Amino acid sequence: MKLQLDRYAYLETPLHAWDPRYKLVGFMTLIFAFSFVENLQLLPFMVAVSGILYAVSHLPLSFLLARLRLPGFFLLMMGVLLPFLSGSTVLFHLGPLSVKQEGCLDLLLISVKFVCILTMGIILFGTSPFLTNVKAMRALGLPSILADMILFTYRYLYDINDNLRTMQTAMRLRGFQGHKLKNLFTLASLAGTILVRSYEQSDRVYRAMTLRGYGQAGENRGGQDNEFKAYSRDLFGLVLLMVAAAFVAGQVLIH
Amino acid sequence: MGIDRYSPVFQEGEKLMHIPDGVLPTTVCLGGYITAGAATWFSLRKISRQENPREGMPKASLLTAAFLVVSWIHIPIPPASVHLMLNGLLGAVLGYYAFPAILIGLFFQAIMFQHGGLTTLGVNATVIGVPALLAYYIFRLRNMVGKENRVLTGLFGFLAGGGGLALSAVAAFFILVTTIPAHLNVEAERASIYALTLAHIPVMILEGVFTAVVAVFLQRVKPELLEG
Repeated sequence: MKLQLDRYAYLETPLHAWDPRYKLVGFMTLIFAFSFVENLQLLPFMVAVSGILYAVSHLPLSFLLARLRLPGFFLLMMGVLLPFLSGSTVLFHLGPLSVKQEGCLDLLLISVKFVCILTMGIILFGTSPFLTNVKAMRALGLPSILADMILFTYRYLYDINDNLRTMQTAMRLRGFQGHKLKNLFTLASLAGTILVRSYEQSDRVYRAMTLRGYGQAGENRGGQDNEFKAYSRDLFGLVLLMVAAAFVAGQVLIH
Repeated sequence: MGIDRYSPVFQEGEKLMHIPDGVLPTTVCLGGYITAGAATWFSLRKISRQENPREGMPKASLLTAAFLVVSWIHIPIPPASVHLMLNGLLGAVLGYYAFPAILIGLFFQAIMFQHGGLTTLGVNATVIGVPALLAYYIFRLRNMVGKENRVLTGLFGFLAGGGGLALSAVAAFFILVTTIPAHLNVEAERASIYALTLAHIPVMILEGVFTAVVAVFLQRVKPELLEG
């Protein structure tokens, strides 16, 4: 099973080799620092930092562009609305509508922040295997029940998705056409069947886990915390990103 | 076979309820993490008081995955189709596991499909998850009036599904319109919230009907799934 996001986690770059715990803390700090920016003068700096980190990660550009496509729709909607609704300084007229300067600048700020934060997230989760990232989150204090739920959901997401595809194919083969509203009841039954199957499967999974010692006293759950070993270079990387984040935050506060 | 090719390009029913990165101010994002943290703590505390809290974990995880997959089913509203959010149904089925399930579902959507965002994860989880918990309480009311009755199950399913989405929609639109760094005047903000909420009324009804039908189906086929 391979999550599409970590398909390049095998590459060998400093970002791939970085201790995932430090990487998680460093990138999340930088992501929140980017989110803090409201000054347009800082946007080139943000773009430069994102570009450099993406280049260092050696992830293909097509990988980033493919992921920008989906959420881009939200930006498209903002792009249609903000320049017309936000602000009072008219730049030019488009028929009966007037394009406002403040709206265009708001749109620029939101778009650049969005793309830079998205790039950071892709680097963060694209340069380590997903399971390693979850273990790192667990090591950083994520409650065990949430970590377990993430791993289980990840494990069965593909199975259940395949179940749905199989059932949809079977429905089509029997002449089902899903484009009519009256099919709502059939689709609700499809959803209900997926839930029932998953519920029954979870019962079998739980019994199998119990047989293997899940939930028993003395169960080995602490080993994961010692899995990571940090070196001075890991700390150096963290300090570097923290400095970048502090720089951004400082600039915002000064302004 | 990857999941990416099945992911919706644009989930109509929840299009504005998955707020992306870069749109909200950091203070709002951090506030969202605080409220999501509090709701998670509350849910985990309730779960830990259950007779065997670990027994529910695989069940909740598989159903979380199932809900994610089910939310990708295209529901026809001719001439287009929509994807439902199902937070009301999730609350009715998962009970106190609903909030962690939504948090995890949103986390997956953010990192796999860039739908929502990492900075807005807390806000999105609060906006969608808290109404799911409320939907759970609404749906639980049917126990007082007779949970064997299918009509009542359908009615409370409708209220949980439609109400869950309605609460999420109002909360998301309010946050979006009032905190987006834009130069809108108060009247424009108010008009936007009303317009966006009104535009979602058909989807709320659809979500309510869908939840009601699924709830009745589950009562007929696997009633223990509705025990929360």
